[in-house]
Amino acid sequence: MKLVPLTYNLRSLLVRRGPTILTILGIAATVATVAGVLALQQGFASLYAETGRADLAVVLRPGATAEGVSAFSREGAARIVKGTPEFAEGPDGQPLASMECFLAVRRFRVDGGETNVPLRGVQPATFALRGDEVRISEGRNLVPGADEVIVGRAITDRIRECGLGDVLTINVTPFNVVGIFECDGPFSSEIWGDFDRMLSALERFGPNRVIARLRPDADVDALDKRLRASPETAAAVQTERAYLSGQTEFLSKLLIRLGSFLGIVMGIAAVFTATNAMLSAIAARTYEIGILSATGFRPFAIFLSFLFEALLLGLVGGVVGALLVLPLNGLETGTTNFETFTEVAFGFRITPTVLQTAIVFSLALGVLGGTLPAWRAARLKPTEALRRQ
Amino acid sequence: MELSRLVWRNLARRKLRTSLTVASLVVAFFLLCTLRSLVTTLQAGADSASASRLIVQSAVSLFVDLPQSYQTKIAGVEGVERMSKWQWFGGYYQETENRFAQFAVDPEETLAIYPEMQIVEGSAEAFYANRRGILIGEGLVDQYGWKLGQRVPILGELFPHPDGPEAAWEFEVAAIYRPTQRNFDSKMMLFHWDYLEESVKASSGEAPGVGTYVLKLAQGVDPTAVMARVDALFENGPQRVQATSESEFQKQFVTMFGNVPFFVSTIGGGVLIAILLAVVNTMLMAGREQTHDIGILKALGFTDGDVVQVLAQQSLLICVLGGVIGLSLAKLAEPGIAEAVGSVFGGYHVEQSTMLFGAALAVGLGVFAGFAPAWRAARLQTVDALSSKE
Repeated sequence: MKLVPLTYNLRSLLVRRGPTILTILGIAATVATVAGVLALQQGFASLYAETGRADLAVVLRPGATAEGVSAFSREGAARIVKGTPEFAEGPDGQPLASMECFLAVRRFRVDGGETNVPLRGVQPATFALRGDEVRISEGRNLVPGADEVIVGRAITDRIRECGLGDVLTINVTPFNVVGIFECDGPFSSEIWGDFDRMLSALERFGPNRVIARLRPDADVDALDKRLRASPETAAAVQTERAYLSGQTEFLSKLLIRLGSFLGIVMGIAAVFTATNAMLSAIAARTYEIGILSATGFRPFAIFLSFLFEALLLGLVGGVVGALLVLPLNGLETGTTNFETFTEVAFGFRITPTVLQTAIVFSLALGVLGGTLPAWRAARLKPTEALRRQ
Repeated sequence: MELSRLVWRNLARRKLRTSLTVASLVVAFFLLCTLRSLVTTLQAGADSASASRLIVQSAVSLFVDLPQSYQTKIAGVEGVERMSKWQWFGGYYQETENRFAQFAVDPEETLAIYPEMQIVEGSAEAFYANRRGILIGEGLVDQYGWKLGQRVPILGELFPHPDGPEAAWEFEVAAIYRPTQRNFDSKMMLFHWDYLEESVKASSGEAPGVGTYVLKLAQGVDPTAVMARVDALFENGPQRVQATSESEFQKQFVTMFGNVPFFVSTIGGGVLIAILLAVVNTMLMAGREQTHDIGILKALGFTDGDVVQVLAQQSLLICVLGGVIGLSLAKLAEPGIAEAVGSVFGGYHVEQSTMLFGAALAVGLGVFAGFAPAWRAARLQTVDALSSKE
């Protein structure tokens, strides 16, 4: 079968410049909106999932879905720290395990409004456990036992009293901000202080969770099973990676749902528009189609030719749409993670998944919008088409 | 008269195109209206607040409880007429998806503080008398089909049952309320503080803390003065408090959303641009196809103004039609969407202002999209228009 040369479609698109550009921009706006939402989801999900470590154990009260609702007595937590052979040991022979307390505290945003900022009390072992993951980039680290805090980079400019040298009051105790730390994960939205000082400032008595480095041969599931059944201090164990990805489920699902909903609904509108544009293009070219069939092109070749034209419109629209969202990459924003009820700062991330989805989506729009018009064009009888002006 | 027939004829000439354009407008207006309603719903939360009520909460964190010993101290503050303890129970019914607001409260005080709750089934006395009795909103009756006298098991996450985390707390529906104000939550479940305290004490030996104290002020009292007095009571600890007006209290949950309203509005902007391009495109196509007709009209002596009207009216008609259907659909879909997004956007509601905004947008869009082809038509020379092949 002889195919209609592709240059025919390219030239036709160029001749009808105005409608072509408007159609492309319409598709681009649709693709850009959907890709933007997806980029937000990617930024949020990667913040948690990619930073959670598989060699760290997170120990919570059984039934607690987040550390905020988990609690241990101090003695119970100490028993877990000391008495778990699966935990690795540091150079000093002590277990690499740390008690942490956690509370979402009321803070004010620099631009007004209240929000909940995660406040974490850590023991020195936390820094030993994390190693390079947490880096002090300005000032210095906190001294154990002192009324000092360090603040994550992501919130230092967003939240009041969180700059280097500021005094941050927790309940009635003033703490000095002595350092700013960098961390790739959600910790960069947190305030860290000394475990014991935090407990006393907050009038609390025990930690929310225990974290520990696992020995390379440790069996997390078996450990979890054993500790859950422990008569003294029942506890649930999971890896940090599993814990953190569980924290994103709600917002991640919400964003994916929003993205799909927008994709479907806006996609329908975009398909209609593309159909309109193609129908109009074909109506204006009836005479040409007559010539095409008169010179021996089969209806199927004509169908393919017009479908290709629609596909091209979709593809260019998709590329333009993807280019439109590219500047969003890395743009930081914040919202509340309703899993933990705390403020998290995260960026848009234009990942390959986003670009791929954008292009596939735009091609789908082209095919769906082009099928009906192309079919109509293929069905035109040469004699009738030639007669029409 | 003849001109408006021409408008109809032109629209009917390309039935498929006209219906596709209207359909994409319907979709766009439905989406715009829904998105804007999400934003207004978020912001409307604070509207049901009453000026005569104050909320006392921890100044440190949303998740820190206040000691019960604060009650007598706060009750002694001048201007406070009634007060109730409130504690968020944080449980769910059967499945974790079935979460709604459950609070342990002082029953009699709470009903006196909230006249917005009108009891439509059962009675306040029955609620007071039954230790395990609950007062539920009509919204819960609609959602779960609970009836008066029915036993309702709730699994507590924050407060595990004394018999263990797998055991459910048993409640009994003693009364059902209907909110007399639109924005008042119709899906609350209120139960006896004493029942909570007794059970928590049985398992941990300690009395539960108080999430918030809700105060009703005596008539004519200045709320700001009372707030200052309450705050001053615990200025030096052990647990600092923050007394706020009810509307401020509710606003803190709105600001938690951070940039979300802005995002939703930005998405709306994307939708708007996409649809604007589509309509302009359609109208330009229509204008081009009608070039020959325009030549005839002009040759027959119709003025440029008449020609502009023919094209502008087509655009306006399409947009208004699409807008009306889209907005009506958004209004019709209100209950369904409210159910789907209820967990995040409680009390989803399409406001009148959104409908008006949509209607204005439809007209504006119609005028704007009609402008380009109409302007082109007006400038056309009769001879050129007549010789056009399209």
